[in-house]
Amino acid sequence: MLDHILSILIFFPALAAVLGFVVHKDSMRAYGVAVASIEFALSLWLWYAFDNNVSGMQFMEHMTLIPAFGINYILGVDGISLFIIILAAFFTMIGIASLSDTKDVKNMIITLLFLQMTMIGVFVALDGIVFYVFWELSLVPMLYIIGAWGGPRRIYASVKFFLYTFTGSLVMLVGMLFMAYFYYQATGQWSFAILDWYRLILPESIQLWLFVAFFFGFAIKVPMFPFHTWLPYAHGQAPTIGSVILAAILLKMGTYAFIRFSLPLFPDASVYFMYPIAILAIIMIIYTAMVAYAQKDIKQVVAYSSVSHMGVIILGTFALNVEGITGSVFLMIAHGVVSGALFLLVGVIYDRRHTKMMDQFGGLASVMPKYATIFGIMMMASVGMPLTINFVGEFLSLLGFYQQSHILTLLAGIAIIVGAIYMLAAYKKMFFGDVTKEENKNLPDVNKRELIALVPLVIITLWLGIYPKPVLAPINDSVESVVKLMHEKSITNEAKQRIPSLVKDSAITTTSTREVH
Amino acid sequence: MLSPINISMESLNLMTLAPMLAPVVGALLILIIDLLKANQDKSLYIMISLLVLGIDFSFLLESAGVFSQNGTLMGVFDVMLIDGLAIISEFIIVAASMLFIPLALTSKRFHEFSYPEFFALFLFMISGFQFMVATDNLILIFVGLETASLALYTLIAMHNRDKSFEAAVKYFTMGALAAGFYAFGSMVLYALTGSVEINQIASVLNANAYVDMPFVLIGVVFMLASFGFKLSIVPFHTWTPDVYEGSSAALAGYMSIVPKIAAFVVAMRLFEFLIHSNVVWLEVVLYIAVVLTMTMANIWAIVQSDVKRMLAYSSISHAGFVMAAILIGTTQSNSALFLYWILFSFTNLGSFSMLWISRQKNLIPGQGSDHNYEKFAGLVKTAPLAASIMALFMLSLAGLPPFALFWGKLYMISSAVTGGYTVLAFIMALNSAIAGYYYLKLIVYMFMKDPEPGYAGDVSVSNATVSLKTIIGFATIGTIFAVVAINPLLEFITSFVYNSGY
Repeated sequence: MLDHILSILIFFPALAAVLGFVVHKDSMRAYGVAVASIEFALSLWLWYAFDNNVSGMQFMEHMTLIPAFGINYILGVDGISLFIIILAAFFTMIGIASLSDTKDVKNMIITLLFLQMTMIGVFVALDGIVFYVFWELSLVPMLYIIGAWGGPRRIYASVKFFLYTFTGSLVMLVGMLFMAYFYYQATGQWSFAILDWYRLILPESIQLWLFVAFFFGFAIKVPMFPFHTWLPYAHGQAPTIGSVILAAILLKMGTYAFIRFSLPLFPDASVYFMYPIAILAIIMIIYTAMVAYAQKDIKQVVAYSSVSHMGVIILGTFALNVEGITGSVFLMIAHGVVSGALFLLVGVIYDRRHTKMMDQFGGLASVMPKYATIFGIMMMASVGMPLTINFVGEFLSLLGFYQQSHILTLLAGIAIIVGAIYMLAAYKKMFFGDVTKEENKNLPDVNKRELIALVPLVIITLWLGIYPKPVLAPINDSVESVVKLMHEKSITNEAKQRIPSLVKDSAITTTSTREVH
Repeated sequence: MLSPINISMESLNLMTLAPMLAPVVGALLILIIDLLKANQDKSLYIMISLLVLGIDFSFLLESAGVFSQNGTLMGVFDVMLIDGLAIISEFIIVAASMLFIPLALTSKRFHEFSYPEFFALFLFMISGFQFMVATDNLILIFVGLETASLALYTLIAMHNRDKSFEAAVKYFTMGALAAGFYAFGSMVLYALTGSVEINQIASVLNANAYVDMPFVLIGVVFMLASFGFKLSIVPFHTWTPDVYEGSSAALAGYMSIVPKIAAFVVAMRLFEFLIHSNVVWLEVVLYIAVVLTMTMANIWAIVQSDVKRMLAYSSISHAGFVMAAILIGTTQSNSALFLYWILFSFTNLGSFSMLWISRQKNLIPGQGSDHNYEKFAGLVKTAPLAASIMALFMLSLAGLPPFALFWGKLYMISSAVTGGYTVLAFIMALNSAIAGYYYLKLIVYMFMKDPEPGYAGDVSVSNATVSLKTIIGFATIGTIFAVVAINPLLEFITSFVYNSGY
C-alpha cells in the first residue's frame, strides 16, 4: 500500500469529491471533514513512513502515460515537499471544519476537495507535464471559489487571478518543451522527467533564457514584486476559506517550483540572476510593507504582509546555500501556518460584523479576550518574534543570504523589523483603546468551531518555534542534496564559488553512516 | 491508325475509389427512396446516412491496413493517391460526419431536415471532401472542392432563415472567388511545369532550380489566397462569423472542422515542397498570416456579444494555430496538425452541439441573437450538468490540462520548438492566454452570475433529445479522458505521416 500512497493522496480527495455529489447537503460538512481528516491522517502516515536518512526521492511511482512523447506519470516525495503536503492536507481539514455558514456549502466542499487533489499533485509530481497539469488545474477550483463566493468585485478579481497565472504558466510551458527538446538532442529520447532533466548540463546562454521562461511562471504565482497586483484583489474579494488556502498553499507552489526546477536545472543562471532577484525580493519586502501600512482594510493588511514575507522566502531561496534554502522551505511552512491563521482570524471578525475596515473596530481586546490573545500570538509570529515559527525560517533565510551579500541582508533585516510597525499599528487600531462603536460592545468571543481551527495553529506556531528540529532535519538533508547537485552541475567559476561545495560535509555523513551500519 | 489501348483492370486499382463511392451510393439510395415513397420521416434518412458512413469507415480501416503493409497506393490512372495523409484526414472527415448527422434528431422541428435532399447533399459533400484529400492532381482537387462546396452552400441555405440566405450567398460568393483564384493558380503552375500533379510540379521546379521565380510566385500567391479563403486565414476570414451565425449551430460546428481539414491536407501537399525550396518570401508571408490569424481572431473574439460568433472567431484562431504546422513543415508538426485537429474536432463539435440544444424557435423579447451571453447567465443554477459540460468544453478549447486540446497544443508548440521557431512558440503560448479570456467569459456568465429574468430555466436545454445527449456524452468523455488515447493516436499518426514522406 505504501508503494502507492502518493497516488492515493492525490486521488482520494478527487474520488471523495465525485461521491460527494450524492451526499445530502445537510450532511455535507461532516462528510467533508471526515474525508479531509482521512487525507490528513494519510499524510501523517506518509511522514511516519518517511525515511529521514534518505535525502533523495522516496515512495517513487512510475507509470507510462505518453511514452511516444516522453510523458510519464512519475511521483515522489522528499524532505522539501513532505511538509508542504502535510500542510495542504491540514489546511483543507481545518478549512472545512471551520467553514462558516455559506450558501451552497455542498458545492464549496466539493470544490475544496478537488482543489486539494491539485495541490497535492503539484507537490508530488516529478514529471514536468504532470506537474503542469496539476499546476494549471488548481486555477479552476480557485477561480470558482473566488468568483462564486467572493465580494462585490469577485468576477474581476477571479478573472484577473486566472489570466495572470495562466499567462505566466504558458510561458513556462514553452520553457519545459525546450527543456525536453534539449534532453532529446542530448540523448535521442524525449523525457519530461525532472530527475532526468537534473542530469542535463546546459550551456550558460541557454540556461539564462530558459531560467527567464520558468521565472515568469513561478514569479507570477509567488507573486513577486512587479507581478503581484493580482493578489490583493484576489484576497480582497475571496471568501475566508479561499484566502486561507491561497495564502497557505497555492502561493507556495511558486516558491517550491523555484527550488524544484530553477535552482537545480539552471545553477549558473541562478547565480547570474541572484542579485537582480534579491533586489526584487527586497523591493517586495519594503514596498509591500509600506503599502500594507497604508491600508484601511485589515484583510488587505494581512494580504500585503503575506506578499512581504514571500519576499523573504525568495531571498532565502536565492541565497543558493544550505542555510538559505532550508530556511526558505521552513519559512514556506511557517508562512502557511501564520498567514493562514491570520486570514482565518480576519474571517472570524468578518462573520460577526460583515466589515473588514479597521476604523469600525477598536477596543476589541476587552470584548473578545480569547480572540485578541490568539490574534496577538499570530501577529507576533508574523513579525518574526523569536520562539515563534516564523523566526526560525526568517533567521535561517537571512543567515544564508548574509553569506552572499552583507548589505542586502542588512537592508532586508531592517525592512522586516520596520515591517513590524504596520502589524502592531493594525493590532492597536483594532484591539486597544475604548470600544467606540455600539455594535462592537456585545460581540461574542470565538466559538468552538473556530477554536478547533485556531488552537492547533497556535500550538504548531509555538512548538515549531521552540523545537523545529523534527521538521528542519529532513528538509536540511534534501536541501543538501540539491545544493550538492547544483555545485556539481555548475559550469562557470562564479557559480562554483557562490554555490558552496559540500564534499567535506558529505564525506563526514558517509563515514557516519558507515559507522551506523 | 491508333492501336487499341490495353489496360488491365488490376492496374486501375478501382478499390481506391471504394471509400468515396460509399457515400455517393448512399446519397443516390436516399433519392431513390424519396422517389418511390415520399414524405418519409427524417430518422430514416439519418440512419441510412449513418450506416453508409459506417461502411465508408470500414473501407477506410481496410485501406489503412493496406497502407501500413504496402505503403502508398496509386489508382485510377494514378489520379488517386491513397497515402497516410489521405487516410488520416478521411478518418477525421467521416468520424466527424458520423458525430454530426445524429444532431438532426432534435426535439423541435427544423425545416431543412424534412427534405431528403439535405441528407443526399450531405453525403455528396463528404464524398467531395474525400476526393479532395485523396489525390495530388490539381484538377481532381478542384472537382472535389467544388462538389463539396456547392453542396455545403445549399445545406446552409436550407436552414431557411433570413440570415442563412445571407450566409449562403456570402459563402457562395467568397467560395466562387476562391475557386477562381485556385483555377488561376493551377493554370500558372501548369504553364510552368506542364503537369497538374503536385509531385510532378515539385520535381520539375526543383530540377530547373526555380528559374521562373516571378511566375512561381504568381501561382503561389493565387493558391495562397484561395486556401486563405477556405481556411479562413486573416485577411480572408471575413465571411466566417457571418456564415456561422447564419447556419444552424450544428452545421457551423461541422463547418469549423471538416472543410478545413480537407483544405489543410491540400495546403500541406502543396506548400510542403515550396516551404522547403528556399522561397524565403513564402515563409515570411505564411509566418505573418499565421501570427495575424491567431492574434487578430482572438482579439475580435473578445468583443463578441454572441457565443456563436465568439466560437466562430475562436475557430479562426485555432485554424491559424494549426496553419503554423504547415509553416514549420516537419514530420512532427504535420503529425501535430492531425493530432490537434482530431482533438479539436470533438471538443468543438461538442461545444457547438451545446449551442444547438439551446436553440430556440423564437427569440425572447430583448434578445439580440440566438446565443447571446445573457442566455447562459446562471446556468449552473438552472441546469448544472449542462453548465459543467459547457465549461469543460471551454476549458478544453482554452488549452487547460488535462483536457483534450491541451495535448494538441502541447505537441504543436513542441513542434515549433523543435523546428527552430522559438518566437512563434512564444506567440502561440501567449495567444492561448489571450484566448483564455473569452472562454472564461462564458464560464463567468454560467457560474458566477444570476439567471437573467425572462429566460425560462429550460431554455438552455430546450432542444435536447436522447441522441443529442449521446453525442454530447461522447464528446465529453473524449474531452476528459483524452490523455489515455494520446499515445496510440500519436504513434498511429506519426507512422502514417512519416511513411507518406511528410
